[in-house]
Amino acid sequence: MAIVGRNGTLQSTINIFRIFLILIILAFIALPVVWILSTSLSQRIAMFKLPPKLFSAFIIDNFKYVFTQMSINSWIANSLIISIGTMILSLIIGVPAGYAFSRINFRGKKLLLIMILLTRALPTIVLVMPFRLIMQNFGLLGTRTAVILIDTVYNAAFTFWLMSGIFESIPSDLEDSGRIDGCNPVQAFLYIAVPLSKPGLVTSALFAFIFSWNDFLFALTLTSPDTTTLPLGMLSTYGILQQGWTYMAAMGVIAIFPVILLSLLLQKYYISGLTFGGVK
Amino acid sequence: MTISGILSIDKKKSTLMWFLVPITVYMVVFFLYPVIYNIFIGFFELKLGRTPIYNGVSNYREMLADTQFLNSLVTTLIFVFSAVSVEVVFGMLIAFLLNHENRVMEIIRTFILIPTVFTPLVAGLVWKSLYHPDLGMITYYLRKFGIDIGRGLIVERSLALGSIVVVDIWEWTPLMVIIILAGLKSLPTEPYEAARIDGAGEVPIFFKITLPLLRPTLLVALLIRSLDALKVFDIIWAITGGGPGTSTTVANLRIYEVGMNQLRIGYAAALSNVLLIIGVIIGIFFIKFIYQKEKL
Repeated sequence: MAIVGRNGTLQSTINIFRIFLILIILAFIALPVVWILSTSLSQRIAMFKLPPKLFSAFIIDNFKYVFTQMSINSWIANSLIISIGTMILSLIIGVPAGYAFSRINFRGKKLLLIMILLTRALPTIVLVMPFRLIMQNFGLLGTRTAVILIDTVYNAAFTFWLMSGIFESIPSDLEDSGRIDGCNPVQAFLYIAVPLSKPGLVTSALFAFIFSWNDFLFALTLTSPDTTTLPLGMLSTYGILQQGWTYMAAMGVIAIFPVILLSLLLQKYYISGLTFGGVK
Repeated sequence: MTISGILSIDKKKSTLMWFLVPITVYMVVFFLYPVIYNIFIGFFELKLGRTPIYNGVSNYREMLADTQFLNSLVTTLIFVFSAVSVEVVFGMLIAFLLNHENRVMEIIRTFILIPTVFTPLVAGLVWKSLYHPDLGMITYYLRKFGIDIGRGLIVERSLALGSIVVVDIWEWTPLMVIIILAGLKSLPTEPYEAARIDGAGEVPIFFKITLPLLRPTLLVALLIRSLDALKVFDIIWAITGGGPGTSTTVANLRIYEVGMNQLRIGYAAALSNVLLIIGVIIGIFFIKFIYQKEKL
């Protein structure tokens, strides 16, 4: 905004106001993040003192405690298996379908897209209750497979939609010339189209992982004590430990660490997934 | 086109049709079938371990007199409306604050992504601790500044839902910011240049140019956020469990209670079908909008 010169003082007042606003917003966003970090490193006793303080100590006892005294290893393992399972299944189902959708016209194309987009509109509670009964009939209730299957409904749909957009932006000329050289359509897809769509693959995989890692409701309704995931396990100890915020915080840090790290490392892909559909 | 060319197009099409089989089968089995099954059992008296009894629309008739459920529906609508509208407005304001290309802004834009990946249940537990009526940090400082919060933010019925909305705003305003920033970046520059040459001020430029151009982005963001806000469960479960009283019991929690605790599965299905209808109505707007964009 090019107001300079005689409005200089007004402009600098506005700038100071802007910086002030940004700082308030950042403090609001940061508070829970800083709180969980500092609490995970605090002594339990500090939680009962007023005024509440951030960074009263710097101890790692809470992490030692949750790793030695709780079943956190098996919760992490379950969460990982479900997240990676969902990621792989969603890619297998969603990527080839997204490719075909972008390359050919067929009857029922609109219908397929409507079905895919409706998954986004479906309230999770509507799916999870009948899903529970169906899994019970399949003998899968209480297994990690059940959670992978329901997570994949949402994530295969997202992968499909995202990838069809990505493949649409890649011209098919290269595949066509590959086919003249003797590639069949499957080879053209695998060796020509897929390598060109890497950013989309990373985004799809990342979103499937985050979705399943952060899921709570599906794990709550479909797992058993043996297959409990990290968020669910955390909740079960929150009550028992009463005011044991320090242990809860340590577990929370372990829970949010992988997803925050991944989304920051793969920031470009994460943002492209977040804004997909909204901006095109 | 040569005959072999046509044949190869046919071969390509028939091969690629197979690529669509897995997702179609998957969605029919694990998405359409459960949803249809849910609609179906909404017409039954279905309790765990007993034979289902067909009872027509009596679940729905019972629902119309079920004040607990109707209240939870109202709570849901209040939650979705207040959270989403604040998120869109704040999202826009913050996007304009951050819409400058420099290193500091870049770091800030990265930093604000954190709430969107923060495991919602963990976020809920953290906020619950911050809201704790005796020891919570937010409680302490609000009281210190002389703000009357009664016995505590999540203890007072009148404050609990608002406190949950604040958590949702914390979690999802950044998403709005990111979407709107991306939308701003994709705007054409010509209308602005023309307007500046005509000597238009920043405020008219915003209302006459930016807002109309940004409308599609805002609309789709609004629809997506509404659909997701309708799914709210984790943070409420963690922070209040629906209380105090039923002040934060949204429909999802009520349905869970009826289906999972009271084990009245048929009735829970009927209740959830109401949410299904709301979701599908918003979803139709969403799909229509996507259609316009993809020009199918």
